[in-house]
Amino acid sequence: MVKIRIDHRLLEAAEGSTLLKAALAAGIDVPHFCYHPAFEPEGSCRMCLVEIDGAPKLELACSTKVKDGMNVLTSSPKVMEARKEVLEFLLAEHPLDCPICDKAGECRLQDYYERYGRFNARFRETKEKRDKIVPIGKRLLLDRERCILCTRCVRFLREVTGTGELGVFERGARTEIGPYEDRRIDNAYSGNLAEICPVGAITDTDFRFKTRAWFLERGASICPHCGRGCNIDIEFRPEPDRQDPGCKILRVRARENAAVNGHWICDIGRYGHPYWTENRSRFVLMNKGAKTTRLSWDKVLIVLSEKIKGLGPRGKGGRLGLILNSFLSNEELYLIGRIFTEAIDLGNAWFADPKLQEADRLLLTAERSPNLKGARELGFESRPPDLEEIAKRIEVLLVFGSGLRAAFSDGEVRKALDRVPAKFLFAAHTGPEDSAYDFLLPAALIAEKPGSLTNTLGLVQEFRPVWRPPGEARPEWEVLGDLARELGSGEAWTDLSIVREAMAREYPFFRKGHE
Amino acid sequence: MSHGFAPVVLDEVRAVAARYPRREAALLPVLRVLQRVSGALGRAEEELAAELLGLEPVRVREAVTFYSLFRQKPAGRHIIQVCINLSCSMAGAGRSLAGLQTRLGIGPGETTSDGRFTLLTVECLGNCDRAPCLMVDEDDHGRVQEEQLDEILRRYP
Amino acid sequence: MTRERPELMDLTEHLFELDVYRSRGGYDAARKALGMPPVAVLAEVRDADLKGRGGAGFPAGVKWGFIPRDGEKPVYLCVNADEGEPGAFKDRWLMTHDPHLLLEGIIITAYAVGAHDGFIYVRGEYEAAALRLDRAIDEARAAGFLGEGIFGTKFGLEVMVHRGAGAYICGEETALLESLEGKRGEPRLKPPFPASVGLFRCPTIINNVETVSNVPRILRDGAEAFRELGRPGDGGTRLFSVSGAVVKPGLYEVPVGAPMKDLIFQHAGGLPPGRTLKAVIPGGLSAPVLRADEIDLPLDGDSLFRAGSMIGAGAVIVIDDGTSMLDILGIMTRFYAHESCGQCTPCRIGTSWMHKTFTRLASGNGNMEDIDEIARVASAIKGRSLCPLGDAAALPILALVTKFRTDLGSRVEEARVRSGSW
Repeated sequence: MVKIRIDHRLLEAAEGSTLLKAALAAGIDVPHFCYHPAFEPEGSCRMCLVEIDGAPKLELACSTKVKDGMNVLTSSPKVMEARKEVLEFLLAEHPLDCPICDKAGECRLQDYYERYGRFNARFRETKEKRDKIVPIGKRLLLDRERCILCTRCVRFLREVTGTGELGVFERGARTEIGPYEDRRIDNAYSGNLAEICPVGAITDTDFRFKTRAWFLERGASICPHCGRGCNIDIEFRPEPDRQDPGCKILRVRARENAAVNGHWICDIGRYGHPYWTENRSRFVLMNKGAKTTRLSWDKVLIVLSEKIKGLGPRGKGGRLGLILNSFLSNEELYLIGRIFTEAIDLGNAWFADPKLQEADRLLLTAERSPNLKGARELGFESRPPDLEEIAKRIEVLLVFGSGLRAAFSDGEVRKALDRVPAKFLFAAHTGPEDSAYDFLLPAALIAEKPGSLTNTLGLVQEFRPVWRPPGEARPEWEVLGDLARELGSGEAWTDLSIVREAMAREYPFFRKGHE
Repeated sequence: MSHGFAPVVLDEVRAVAARYPRREAALLPVLRVLQRVSGALGRAEEELAAELLGLEPVRVREAVTFYSLFRQKPAGRHIIQVCINLSCSMAGAGRSLAGLQTRLGIGPGETTSDGRFTLLTVECLGNCDRAPCLMVDEDDHGRVQEEQLDEILRRYP
Repeated sequence: MTRERPELMDLTEHLFELDVYRSRGGYDAARKALGMPPVAVLAEVRDADLKGRGGAGFPAGVKWGFIPRDGEKPVYLCVNADEGEPGAFKDRWLMTHDPHLLLEGIIITAYAVGAHDGFIYVRGEYEAAALRLDRAIDEARAAGFLGEGIFGTKFGLEVMVHRGAGAYICGEETALLESLEGKRGEPRLKPPFPASVGLFRCPTIINNVETVSNVPRILRDGAEAFRELGRPGDGGTRLFSVSGAVVKPGLYEVPVGAPMKDLIFQHAGGLPPGRTLKAVIPGGLSAPVLRADEIDLPLDGDSLFRAGSMIGAGAVIVIDDGTSMLDILGIMTRFYAHESCGQCTPCRIGTSWMHKTFTRLASGNGNMEDIDEIARVASAIKGRSLCPLGDAAALPILALVTKFRTDLGSRVEEARVRSGSW
């Protein structure tokens, strides 16, 4: 470690670190555009110039390594002057697009200009005219007038995805960024480009013109689409009581976590937000013949518990079937194990999960569900459902989630369910085969309940509710607690912490600190 | 694989590439050869260079558009480069340029309609003691006087 | 056969032919050097106080000393023959007229730093020079001066000519490396310096043509003789490209520290009859201009630096009273806007801004405030860019505007009157 002074504050910094890293770590804002923690310093925007004692010129904070005894000023008159002038240069060839630019409100150029800029622009010449709507990818548009040539996008595609679709063409003030001919960016991480662009040059058509950044509320969560457990921020426009976001989720962004996803998320996670908003199951329903009626939770739980109790001690000969999935949280899977081993033989627990697919070299795992590792740690085998066996043996079937839908056709599912006397679906999404079930229970999703997931590398990550579940949907762990009570269980699972403690007691794996 | 180029051309660029410790370092000389052969560096030339040197085509175009001596559109049979930097300007480059414009009927950046000459204004050619100077193709012409222009042009059919 | 000769320039005809070059003592210095330990060769060049002749003026022997002696990576030698500084033509002369001298210097330099591959980066426009070098390389290889086991030692060296493609910025050493690697000529951040991370990330020495061409005579005549030709800390002679309003424009060799007045009025024959001296640009377009009353200076790096200018590429451009300083300003703004690589904000946008303002001015649609604006933009670029091109644009423009304000003022007025926009 070395000792340096920044703005008269004595700081310790790791040997080999840079002034910018040390400053940011100490909460000192040194403005920058081209620097990004995922890449080597670029040094081209010139925004991070700072004053160093003993140096004749201002030096770049992003690339100057810390040296013991260094004395740095980040807001001296010289530095402020330099910032004003670099900003003035950038604004000179930048279009006054703020009123129509998506980036407004979260734009570095805007932010820095407000903080450090000069408010009478002196550029009187004609700005370069360039193309403003250049499609460069499936959901990406490039505005060359707004581009400040920080080259973050070019470097991301060369160094992170290794696909290198973008290049830097021409020279001097004519320099511009673009793809080669009709080649477009179509890798699975393209959405990160709109995020890392410090201005509104690269915009995401998924978000374009939908809202203003300052109307967004944000909640931290975990992406549910694979086993990586990427940390995300879900951004939405809140309804008055945070219920039923409908189509108000506007964006999913990466939340930095060095141990999980670094700075990125993949496009499946980023553009997978219809998962929360489309086809949600909202009410407890009973299907009898052609009629569908609404029930209360109390009522349906009584029915379910009676059906289960009616099977006799320990589900007599394995006639209670559970179809689970690895979207359920650690706590939920644990509770299921607790409740149903007490009530039945868990030999009839199947897992209806998405098929394993290709993992990529970056974040995406082969398993496309977030808690497969958690299920394993909790002793589940995750064998796929055997519809034949279910049709033959099972008298009371409780299906969690929409996994059956993905693995079997509507016809196959109906055929099997037809032979099951009592079938309950506890899922968050509605589907065409819903009418094949006797009872439909609406479930909450990650971001609508608390819990934890275990990612593919065995890291346990907690998540909290960001908004309330839609309609009458409830978290599985809560409903399971109620069901346990109905089944006459001695335990009272009234709070998630109780579940957690029990889980940690029984499974040492879950005893270590959560993220 | 040949992209429509004659084997002798492919041999030449391969030989150029082989002289470098890393293939991709040969990009500028390879582009120079291809521009000589094709007259300009278009997609076919870019893709050939990319393939031979193990580069993405986008990297090739980065170089094509960066360097002044590379062109993406064909030029005339002969390229006239008139230096208009300091010493040549003081010595009368303006007169040479005006004289050429009159004779050829084109301005800087343009090509005669018969495809014979392209006229360009350029920065210092390193011939300042023989100002005003110009190059036609790879030939240097120094101390160019108006009276000599016809004679110079005649040498390039 | 050696012959003591204080001059670098040898005007013997056909010197580019190997036998003529050898008859003048050529390759004897290289033979001598390869009989010494490399560190001794390096020490000789360091003791000679040979400063880089490309513009930066860094002592060559000191730079060579930065190369790690026992590293695992190959060491490369690059000769900077990009000579793009307006007004400079010395390297062109050396390569065209005396290519073997450069090759001999390359052999000695490569031996001293442990390089076995040398690249001569020749600007794309220098066709004749490149052909001469190619031919000389072939001759040298045939004679055993290049290739394996030179002079019967274990030292081997391959040299090749690499042609640029029209970019002044490639004269900056790290942009040269990028270009040599097959990329856009965009300068790199320093540190790290090329001696640690250079060509293909290997230790690399980059020296100017004239610098390397001086090495044989240092080995031949010794460090002290070379040192004594010049000034303390700045040894040898320098080649000056003299052009502009002089009777005899051309290449002249004078000792380091010789009076500028001698160069202009004796060697180059002074101004043509009927003309008076207005200004002198002493080091190429990127060297801040000196007024006619400021040229009583010795021609060495320190003196010119203290006078607010620089020796740069040793290109002396003489300006007479018939030249419009506004025209010169326009050449400056146009040149730097054209040659800016575009990487960093101040240079990319600033050079273009200055030229846009100038263009408007020159068409008659401006006034002295715009001249001040150009100067202000130049100040904003100064000291802020990624590579020296930013300052190369800013400092000459600032000097011009400061020293010739009245002159510029009347030209601006003329332009306005001409255009009828007053």
